Amino acid sequence: MPGGRVCAACGCAEIEVDAARGDAVCTGCGSVLEDNIIVSEVQFVENSGGGSSAVGQFVSLDGAGKTPTLGGGFHANLGKESRAQTLQNGKRQIHHLGNQLQLNQHCLDTAFNFFKMAVSKHLTRGRKMTHVIAACLYLVCRTEGTPHMLLDLSDLLQVNVYVLGKTFLLLARELCINAPAIDPCLYIPRFAHMLEFGDKNHEVSMTALRLLQRMKRDWMHTGRRPSGLCGAALLVAARMHDFRRTVKEVIRVVKVCESTLRKRLTEFEDTPTSQLTIDEFMKIDLEEECDPPSFTAGQKKLKIQQLEKALSKKLEDFEGEISSYQDEIEIELENSRPRAKGVFANFTKDDSIEDNTSSVAGDEEAEDEELEAAANHLNKNFYNELHDKDRVKKNGDGECENGNETLVRPPALESLLGPLPTAASLGITESIRECISTKDQEPGENTGDGELDLSGIDDSEIDRYILNETEAQIKAELWMKENADYLKEQKEKEARIAKEKELGIYKEHKPKKSAKKREPIQASTAGEAIEKMLEQKKISSKINYNVLRDLNSKGSNTPKKEDDSTDDSTNTKKLSRRKSIASRSIANPVNSLGKRLRPLISTQLAKKAATEEMVFPNAQAEAPDSAKPAAVLVESGPVAYNPDEEVEEEEMEEDDDHCMSALQLMGGNDYGCDMDDDDGY
Amino acid sequence: MDADSDVALDILITNVVCVFRTRCHLNLRKIALEGANVIYKRDVGKVLMKLRKPRITATIWSSGKVICTGATSEEEAKFGARRLARSLQKLGFQVIFTDFKVVNVLAVCNMPFEIRLPEFTKNNRPHASYEPELHPAVCYRLKTLRATLQIFSTGSITVTGPNVKAVASAVEQIYPFVFESRK
Repeated sequence: MPGGRVCAACGCAEIEVDAARGDAVCTGCGSVLEDNIIVSEVQFVENSGGGSSAVGQFVSLDGAGKTPTLGGGFHANLGKESRAQTLQNGKRQIHHLGNQLQLNQHCLDTAFNFFKMAVSKHLTRGRKMTHVIAACLYLVCRTEGTPHMLLDLSDLLQVNVYVLGKTFLLLARELCINAPAIDPCLYIPRFAHMLEFGDKNHEVSMTALRLLQRMKRDWMHTGRRPSGLCGAALLVAARMHDFRRTVKEVIRVVKVCESTLRKRLTEFEDTPTSQLTIDEFMKIDLEEECDPPSFTAGQKKLKIQQLEKALSKKLEDFEGEISSYQDEIEIELENSRPRAKGVFANFTKDDSIEDNTSSVAGDEEAEDEELEAAANHLNKNFYNELHDKDRVKKNGDGECENGNETLVRPPALESLLGPLPTAASLGITESIRECISTKDQEPGENTGDGELDLSGIDDSEIDRYILNETEAQIKAELWMKENADYLKEQKEKEARIAKEKELGIYKEHKPKKSAKKREPIQASTAGEAIEKMLEQKKISSKINYNVLRDLNSKGSNTPKKEDDSTDDSTNTKKLSRRKSIASRSIANPVNSLGKRLRPLISTQLAKKAATEEMVFPNAQAEAPDSAKPAAVLVESGPVAYNPDEEVEEEEMEEDDDHCMSALQLMGGNDYGCDMDDDDGY
Repeated sequence: MDADSDVALDILITNVVCVFRTRCHLNLRKIALEGANVIYKRDVGKVLMKLRKPRITATIWSSGKVICTGATSEEEAKFGARRLARSLQKLGFQVIFTDFKVVNVLAVCNMPFEIRLPEFTKNNRPHASYEPELHPAVCYRLKTLRATLQIFSTGSITVTGPNVKAVASAVEQIYPFVFESRK
């Protein structure tokens, strides 16, 4: 500070520095050398209550960045960088949830530490904040061994358990934290308390614990939900002590399905321990251990399969016997046949040539007789008849009949066999052929240019995969009918878009695309570059280009203020939207919390309803309400609340407008991060 | 440890997933209309085509990328993929069969003994994770092989990995650990 040594005007070295007023004045000539010196004194200010508080604000150690606005300092979430905001928001949510689970302060602090680690490893990205918070809390519950289930957390948040579980597993893995396995014994006191056993609570719990240990040794607990086992143990323990607790009551407390509970009970029934009386159980502990129920079930299955195999083998044997009998019969029949044929050969030929009708009739008759014969082919009398008829040659019809019969006999069998399905009739000849003509394994890899190697691919079968025109039409109709709803929706959507376009309200909700690559702007100065870029982007016609040109490299405030007036409305909208989203997201977990917080919710809702446009002050009001317990707020001066807000609003707007308009200038929408800051909202 | 060196376990491959590219734009509507065994999912923008011969279900996108699932061996997967490309060719598209890659192999294996899961988890801390509230099996990840094993208390193990060799070596690797914690 040159002013500290020698006065610039008169050159004398007597300079008085007044710390209170912050001046440095030369005592010789009286010229003021310095004004508004930065001092490091503490000043005090009087509160409304009469007490005094120090002037100043808390600045975070690790948080760099812009200093809070002068005259502000109410809102803990302003003026901080994103990371600090995230952490603070997380801390708040952890405390909200943790208080509902009745976790002590130590647990909550540990959870917050986990959360900090998660944030530093970027595990919060792409995940809902609430899920990460829940996972941190559950991790603490596991490490501390508190009797909280993941189901409780999902109940509070109304989130699917498996989703939370996934997040929890990921967190545990990434943070290299080994959560000790859950012991069902931990849950017993909690559930027992909920089942209200009164004085005998302790006894019942003890009994249930013993039961559980027995179950563990009997291998019922691997791979099962601990709550299910607890439920079964408690039910039995309650009955043992003459408490009537129905299955439904237990289920409500333990949160498993009725069938699960019954299953556990039946499994326990299967163990030898269940045969003991109550007194015996309390005294004796059986030595042997059982196999896990799923294992025994698996064994049963195996046994059944083996039995089935044995049965099928036996069946096959029987069938073999039957078929051997059949073969023998057929052989005998065939043996008897050739004799008849030889004798009647002439007759049969004449008959067939001369009398077709009779042969047809004969055939029909013969078929009936075939059926009869097939039914009686074991009958030896028939053979005798044949033999007799061989001898009798005189009766032509009889002979014809015989001939027909006997002739028909050989074809009878064939016709009997005939209707058996052949490959041709089934239409699978081609595929059989394919199967037989084995495909040799493809010779190595594809050729370099990706040509399709057709070895072993049968084109004809593939042809069957392709429908012809009529089939295609039918299929198209079917598809249209099935997907009618979806098509309707699409049409409605298009109609809506067309209408909106006409009215000019159409907002295109395009999925975010990455920025198109433009040619790099070549300009000698920053001002030129800005100008060229603005021309390219055609942002605003209201920018005073003349002033822009006179800029130095830092950029100006004045033309931007012009922008502000025009872009104000859109910016406030965006900001208000952002803030409302933020407040809404804060409000949502609040809404799902318990009864205790309902009064708080109602006040917040009332505030929201009252001023819809002034979303800002609401958000800001909420923030200080919740932030007050967290951080010590130091008020800057004896000013009224509302004007301050307005002032801050404007200043905030300006600040953010600067940001916004700068963002816009730099390529606003394509930046993409406007709404989705990593604020953790 | 009492680990047998020659383990006669039969590993059954139940599913092989592969992808390939046709290097040409495919008109899904045409495939849907003219294919005999296709399901057209217009809302998602894909066509499901099922083949009978190697039992394969293929998901076809209009960009020309095809994912093939359901095969029971790597060779079968390749064969099915080629058949599929051939049928697409017959439908009239200029198909070029490129970038065939087996992406995932799922296999099942049965140990002749049961396994104590909590003990197993304790001994294999970083790799094994067990959440009885969520899933009855222990999830064991082998980072070197990029394979995941699901170990059930009955002794049956489900392995998923990038190819058949990885799956086989994963089973070999896990056998001694599982043998330690057997019942």
